[in-house]
Amino acid sequence: MTFSHFNRRTHLYLGLALLPWFFMYGLSSLPFAHSAYFDARDAAKKLPLWTLRADRTVDVPVPAAGADGQVDPKDLRAFGARLLQDAGISGTSFGAYRQSPNQINVYSHTFRKSTQLKYFVDSRRLTVEERRFRWDHFLTGMHARGGFEDERLFVRSWSVIVDIVSLAMIVWVASGLIMWWTLPGHRRWGLLTIAAGAISFLIFAATL
Amino acid sequence: MYLALFLFPWVLMYGLSTLVMNHRAYFTARYGSGAPPFEIERTIAYDGVFPDNADLRAISRQILASLDLDGAHGVTRGKEGAIVINRNDLTSPRRLTYTPANRTVVIERMASRPNALLERFHRRRGYATGYRLDTIWAVTVDFFIIGMVFWTISGLWMWWEMKVTRRVGWSAALAGAGTFALYVLTI
Repeated sequence: MTFSHFNRRTHLYLGLALLPWFFMYGLSSLPFAHSAYFDARDAAKKLPLWTLRADRTVDVPVPAAGADGQVDPKDLRAFGARLLQDAGISGTSFGAYRQSPNQINVYSHTFRKSTQLKYFVDSRRLTVEERRFRWDHFLTGMHARGGFEDERLFVRSWSVIVDIVSLAMIVWVASGLIMWWTLPGHRRWGLLTIAAGAISFLIFAATL
Repeated sequence: MYLALFLFPWVLMYGLSTLVMNHRAYFTARYGSGAPPFEIERTIAYDGVFPDNADLRAISRQILASLDLDGAHGVTRGKEGAIVINRNDLTSPRRLTYTPANRTVVIERMASRPNALLERFHRRRGYATGYRLDTIWAVTVDFFIIGMVFWTISGLWMWWEMKVTRRVGWSAALAGAGTFALYVLTI
């Protein structure tokens, strides 16, 4: 196998294996770039985005703030896990945030479903709300998913694939440039195109 | 091919910035959480006069234009009537605080961090700023999105044209699609 052959096959098979991710990142960029359009389209349906599923009093010890006024993120996460358990939610990714001194929010999500919990410290009140399914949210949720904070290995493996897709994009650029260079008939126009792209990008970087 | 050659800086930027965003915890441990801090660049006296009943947006545009810093920005009214302008410059974001009481503008520049720079590039989009250059950038983002979908379809077609790669290609495509479907159904 020659280097050229290896280069072309790497470009191709990497592309075929990662095609669902590449397609998803492309398609899901549309609702990010045109969020106003998608929001207006959904608002026209006049349906509530969140539906209250539970509203009750829960007695859970709230993590204390440190000297800097901040709650340790690990304590906050453990508190979030405790609230989710109380709400009967398990096996989802989640994040816990101190919304205000009196309110802690927990967002639980899978690709298909999102739930938000609000805990009001002074009244010990917990509300559980479910988000209506929206295709644009489904796509942007996948697009934005990443990081290695989740304790579960399988969930973290998604982020490993995100890394692989990112590295693959760099490999596609390098292998694509090598493939272009091996086509002498395209070198002149190719160089002009590369220069036009690079100059445009630099102008944006310098002036935006 | 020519579409990819033109858009290669965007591909590199989105690839690198995704890596950085996927490892945000590493950068948080290194630099601390939150946005990079602002450092005072200069303080100047501002003796411009604003039209009667000028809204915040008109005031911010006038200040930015007079300092040769006009561009995409957000503006709010801070304590004691101060006007705070966040100029969303890609490479060096600035915060300008105009205090009407002493007619000064404090210009602060955000500390430079490579991860924050890449993340700003990644997140820059939309047509709402009202600045022509931002609109052109938003068009290039749309152009890139179309490019990604086009590369997916044209790549499949090119693969199918090469009969010798069909068997291994099917294996790679099915393995990828199967793994993706498993994630969608389970996490």
